[in-house]
Amino acid sequence: MSALLEEASEEAALERLHALDCTDGLPVVVPTPERVDRMVLASGLDADLALGEMGPAMGVATVEKVAVAAVMAGCLPDHMPVVVGAVRAAVDPMFDLGDMQGTTHCLAPLVIVNGPARQGCGGVASGFGALGPGHRANAAIGRALRLCMINIGGGRPGVSDMALHGHPGKFTYCLAEAEEHSPFPPLHVSRGYRAEDSVVTLVGCEAPHSVIYSDDADDPENAEKLLHVLSIGVANLATNHAILRHGTAVVVLNPTHADVLAKANMNRETVAKRLWELTHLPAADHDRYAGGFRRPLEAETYPAFGSPDQLVILVAGGTGLYSMVMPSWGGGAHNNCAVSARVELDQFCEVPGASAA
Amino acid sequence: MRDGINMARNGIPSVCLITEEFWPQAEFVAASVGMPDIPMVRLPHPVAGTGEARIQAIADSIADEILDRFAA
Repeated sequence: MSALLEEASEEAALERLHALDCTDGLPVVVPTPERVDRMVLASGLDADLALGEMGPAMGVATVEKVAVAAVMAGCLPDHMPVVVGAVRAAVDPMFDLGDMQGTTHCLAPLVIVNGPARQGCGGVASGFGALGPGHRANAAIGRALRLCMINIGGGRPGVSDMALHGHPGKFTYCLAEAEEHSPFPPLHVSRGYRAEDSVVTLVGCEAPHSVIYSDDADDPENAEKLLHVLSIGVANLATNHAILRHGTAVVVLNPTHADVLAKANMNRETVAKRLWELTHLPAADHDRYAGGFRRPLEAETYPAFGSPDQLVILVAGGTGLYSMVMPSWGGGAHNNCAVSARVELDQFCEVPGASAA
Repeated sequence: MRDGINMARNGIPSVCLITEEFWPQAEFVAASVGMPDIPMVRLPHPVAGTGEARIQAIADSIADEILDRFAA
């Protein structure tokens, strides 16, 4: 059972939460017992069920504590299964959450939602402006995970979250894949799940960087040119990948760019493989710029990514000129890998009067 | 910090060398894992990249303190 605080008004309670460093700096919904109970009920899970530990504080993420964060973030009960799924992925030891929170690098878990939960859990946006602002489910789900990382994981700037600058995605960082507008199988299917499963995939990564490419269907090198500019964005010499030679990066193709690649008979796997090839960088650059991270390299080039699997490709956003790349960190015992967890919709309990519709 | 904690847990005497800027984080992590009293020695910040001569000077200035902590 979580500790109960008492204040005379909502305003006073909000100020108390700010004073206790329990917020992300923005106003939160005050997590009254009634609101938290309703969120727990929506999960269909026991309040005391421990989903795992969140570092660096190693706090136990019970369903109730996650529900507190979900209320504070402004979630609807409909969003709760995705929040629980995101927390399950975050507490997976493969995710190295404690190290991720403690690093001086700026990275935040990007929450990627696939499958029926995209529609069934409050409508997680995948199209125009999917990374925000303006989409409630995206905003609230991503923020709920962050508030868990603050209040359960203990991540606080300059004390336990040592990111030198942070980044805006550390407030919230969530989108769905635009499966209906993608020429490729859904991301979660490529990662071994069934199409009818709902899955959250987390990747700790930097803020999105725009990549412009003007599609030209008459150009026989259309796909290769697109891949070339994406490769520059995702692993230029300023990224950790070029210097540390580890980490997982995300490439968010807009549907237009995804079609350019599909018309060249490429799929997610061949796109990742080609990007991996194109992100082989000159060893001389590593030797000159890697400083204390310099290691002897025998060949003339070296791969910025350990394998094509470390390039997570998805389709989202509106159609047009711009795709997004999110380079990442490369630290932690598991080299900052992507981790997926199922969203358990069969446990979900609809709370009367509490959905968005 | 975690390297020192993991070594101490494996029975290897350990002193954690922590720069000034990371002292609060070190205390936070040590408390989180239930080892708030793990020996730590404070270094100026930064150390990395400040040149061999300065790093040698820092090493000279803390060597005795490290030995004292091992002996304590």
